[in-house]
Amino acid sequence: MAAIGVHFGYTCACVAIFKDGRADVVANDAGDRVTPAVVGYRDTEQIVGIAAKQGRVRNAANTVVRVKQILGRRFNDPETQTHKGETKCQVVSRGEKPYYEITAGDHPEYVAPEDVAKLIFHKMKETAQSALGSDVSDVVITVPFEFAPNQKRALREAAEAAGFHVLRLIHEPAAALLAYNIGQDHTSGKSHVLVYKLGGTSLSVTVLQVNGGMFRVLSTHTDHGIGGESFTQALAQHLASEFKRTFKHDVSSNARAMLKLMNGADMAKHSLSSLGSANCFVDSLHDGIDFECNVSRARFELLCSSLLNKSIQPIQLLLEKAGLSASSINKVVLCGGSARIPRLQQIMREMFPDVELLSSAPPDEVIAVGAALEAGLLVGSDSFVLEEESVTVDVSAADILIKEVDESGAEVLTVLLPSGMPLPARRHHVLSGGGKQSSLCLDIYQRFVMEQPEQLSKIVFRDLQPSEADHNIDVVVTMKRDGSIHVSCVEQTTGKSEVVTITAAAAAAAAAAS
Amino acid sequence: MLLEALDGEETVVLRAGAASVQVQVEPVGRWFEAYVRRRNRNASASFQELEEEEESSEESDDEEFQLQEYPVLRTLDPKDWKNQDHYAVLGLPHLRYKATQKQIKAAHKAIVLKHHPDKRKAAGEQIVEGDNDYFTCITKAIETLSDPVKRRAFDSVDPTFDNGVPSKSEGKENFFDGFAPVFERNARWSSKKHVPKLGTMESSFEEVDNFYSFWYNFDSWREFSYLDEEEKEKAECRDERRWIEKQNRASRAQRKKEEMNRIRTLVDTAYSCDPRIKKFKEEEKAKKESEKKAKAEAKRREQEERERARQAELEAARLAKEKEDEEAKQVAQQAKKEKEIQKKAIKKERQKLRTTCKNWNYFADNEAESVKMMEEVEKLCDRLELTSLQSLNEVLASGSKEDSKAAVEQQVREVNAQLQREKDAEVQARQAARSAEQASGGGGGGGKGWNEEDLQLLIKAVNLFPAGTNARWEVIANYMNLHSTSGMKRTAKDVINKAKNLQRLDPLQKDEINRKAFEKFKKEHSSVAPSIDNAVPSERFDASGSDGNAAPWTTEEQKLLEQALKTYPVSTPERWEKIAAAVPGRSKKDCMKRYKELVEMVKAKKAAQEQVAAKSKK
Repeated sequence: MAAIGVHFGYTCACVAIFKDGRADVVANDAGDRVTPAVVGYRDTEQIVGIAAKQGRVRNAANTVVRVKQILGRRFNDPETQTHKGETKCQVVSRGEKPYYEITAGDHPEYVAPEDVAKLIFHKMKETAQSALGSDVSDVVITVPFEFAPNQKRALREAAEAAGFHVLRLIHEPAAALLAYNIGQDHTSGKSHVLVYKLGGTSLSVTVLQVNGGMFRVLSTHTDHGIGGESFTQALAQHLASEFKRTFKHDVSSNARAMLKLMNGADMAKHSLSSLGSANCFVDSLHDGIDFECNVSRARFELLCSSLLNKSIQPIQLLLEKAGLSASSINKVVLCGGSARIPRLQQIMREMFPDVELLSSAPPDEVIAVGAALEAGLLVGSDSFVLEEESVTVDVSAADILIKEVDESGAEVLTVLLPSGMPLPARRHHVLSGGGKQSSLCLDIYQRFVMEQPEQLSKIVFRDLQPSEADHNIDVVVTMKRDGSIHVSCVEQTTGKSEVVTITAAAAAAAAAAS
Repeated sequence: MLLEALDGEETVVLRAGAASVQVQVEPVGRWFEAYVRRRNRNASASFQELEEEEESSEESDDEEFQLQEYPVLRTLDPKDWKNQDHYAVLGLPHLRYKATQKQIKAAHKAIVLKHHPDKRKAAGEQIVEGDNDYFTCITKAIETLSDPVKRRAFDSVDPTFDNGVPSKSEGKENFFDGFAPVFERNARWSSKKHVPKLGTMESSFEEVDNFYSFWYNFDSWREFSYLDEEEKEKAECRDERRWIEKQNRASRAQRKKEEMNRIRTLVDTAYSCDPRIKKFKEEEKAKKESEKKAKAEAKRREQEERERARQAELEAARLAKEKEDEEAKQVAQQAKKEKEIQKKAIKKERQKLRTTCKNWNYFADNEAESVKMMEEVEKLCDRLELTSLQSLNEVLASGSKEDSKAAVEQQVREVNAQLQREKDAEVQARQAARSAEQASGGGGGGGKGWNEEDLQLLIKAVNLFPAGTNARWEVIANYMNLHSTSGMKRTAKDVINKAKNLQRLDPLQKDEINRKAFEKFKKEHSSVAPSIDNAVPSERFDASGSDGNAAPWTTEEQKLLEQALKTYPVSTPERWEKIAAAVPGRSKKDCMKRYKELVEMVKAKKAAQEQVAAKSKK
């Protein structure tokens, strides 16, 4: 079963296909694995992708960029107003909703953001289908975590209008985790993952808890003010000042020259991620003067140092908000094209010294890969539709612990069942006691976060045969959905067993009432 | 390492555990999928238990179903298996095509247990040997029904299926009761699932439309291979098999066609009888009508509006025009009145001037002077403006006789000066006009100036190339261009025009030109002669002097010269003396000069002719 995953970002869109158990990003007809989410309108045609982005120099008024920003928003939404101020394409209000005014043809046309998104989705679909060679239309699309239901609906409708069958919308950080196969191999253990996404125009940092194979977002932070374009902007400013210094011409007031310079700076920025220095060359930048400038990586880092600091800052705040420290993060996932910046990776490494920094996959493709993996999962399990947008599950409220002694004889508590496990859950442990002892005692505790553990139950084995070997006891802890715990213990050599059932608080109250 | 139990401790539950809490999770990942699937099935057990359960549910899912004994089973003829109802044989007549594969298997198992020959033999029954036993029918039945292809073929020709289609009259009477079961019955042949229902009278247009479009594009899986007359497997060779196949195919296609026709008839009948369709059509019609009406109404209103606007515009234009006319009339009247007043005033002033002048006796002493003055005063009266007249009169009225006289005289002078200026201007204008006329008329086509020399040259050329010369005017023009000193290029046309102009000139003018030319010639060629010439123009002057006779050569002299030139060839010694002797009145120098001129003339003539000839050749 083949399926498609699409990451539809503010600046770029990326499509991956799931086929034969693998998810791969597909290159578009221009040979790029990431397609700029830019639509250019001409009098006879609409162009999507790199051609539209480059054509923006000449056709800025009829080129729509960053459509995701106003997708599904009302006209009087502050975000829409911001977008209106930034874009060079006219945004008008029609019935409370924003529309683009396109003046490519004889008459001005009004294009809804959904239609623009539809064109981009259509392009992604074509790309995927040309790689698959068949008309697979099952797709999973990623959305930012902060997307409101209206925006999700608009995105879904746009995708459906483009001919997709939308299996599900998933959140970008979750898709990134899927792509790195976090928590999918085995269900034991609880871990915290930080997903750091620095895209074209937005920064989003999310802390997730992975438990029992499920992801739970603990806290998230989004900043639309910073992204790859900010870096490009900074570099372009630098180039403009260089130009002014050399040729005594100020290009900052020339919109087209600045766009050209931005394109040049963009390319230079990309090569600086892998090379120590990059050449920026712009033909006929101003008054027919060609511009050439060499930028070193150090220079670029210097230019962007304040931006880099700004993009790192939210992490600390977020961790504080989630009540975690940098050491309690187990993994850090980098995604978004700007996460390629070597300096940024270095800063992250310094920030999380003992943590695995996951950046092996190209960061701007990770999310699409995750979406494709999810699509592969969904398309296998046929005709299962998730009705609600958000899903709640029952999880255990407290850690379930057992008291043991370590070699030095001090008492320690070992986790049998961590808090936050999706219920119902079952855990199997083998505990051992000293072979010389004729009796063993299992003290079961529960512990809420930051609280003293309280004892729930005590299980006692008596009349054991003292022997050289340790007594091994199989302990199976099962927790039902309401929170009631069932602990069954079997002594391996003798086959003696003890079973206790600890009812949950609410259930106990109900039982007492009846 | 576990702790050792203390004395007196027993297994005990001390308190209730914490209740579970609900949290939002991301809907991704296989564990999530597994979780949701479990939850949807309302199971609450741990993972392994559930997975095991899933496995076993497949097995135990078989619901209990009753097998219905087929009463005539024992009497069936195995040879006639094709016409037997296989479902009935297996005891599933109530389930028929709805029976699952599992049910069929189970039924077969049950029936085999009961009817297997060995079983019956054990029960002491008489068994027919070989294939003739009715058990063969059971085998055939399971053979057919367990193979999906064969089962479909059998289902297609289900003997219990009612192929009937209600007639039109039946449908009209009770449409929904009549057709609903028929459509439901036929829905089983659809290759697509979720066949739309016929619906009720209240169904929306979309529903009805969807229903009919589905049935008009009905995709049936029903096929008729079961009814094949010949069995392919029985064929002995390939050719036979092919022939059978062909036969079967043809009959199947025929039956399929019939089947499609049947469905088509059914849908057609239903469509024509459907009261809802009628209702929709009427609604549509009414809507269209009302739309049309509204459109017409709108159009009419628009027209009226336009008409009204036009009327208003016209009215406004008319009013404006009237007003304008009125104003113009008033202005004219005003102007007329003013003019009249002015006229009167002027008249009055003039009268006043005259009387004053008369009173002063025209500032004159004698009669003649007074008459002249009178004239002047009259002139003044005519010429002066009202204001100047008034001021003059004032001066006259206030001043003494001398002052008045001075004033009048000054005025007279001014008027006279003005008159003179006007006259001059007129004369100048006339002259300018004349000169312009001359320039345009004299220049022929191009308005090129013809000076004296050119005119002379032209006359000479015209005479040199008499009428009848080949391409005469071109030759003349060329000649002119070659010899003109003015450097102007002239075309044949220019030359013709000028020549014609000259012809038109009165002989007096021609004479003038000639005379002018001669004077000029004289001026140029004789620096000494003029005084003599001027002094005694009538005297023949023998040119024995250094200068020779500059008078033009007469025809007679010319002839004599030519004769002399012929008489004395180049080789003759003292040739020019002899020639000069032959021409009376001409010196040797004169003759030589004349000869040179002639030679030049001839040369020029030849050159011009050649040029024109060359041009025409081209």
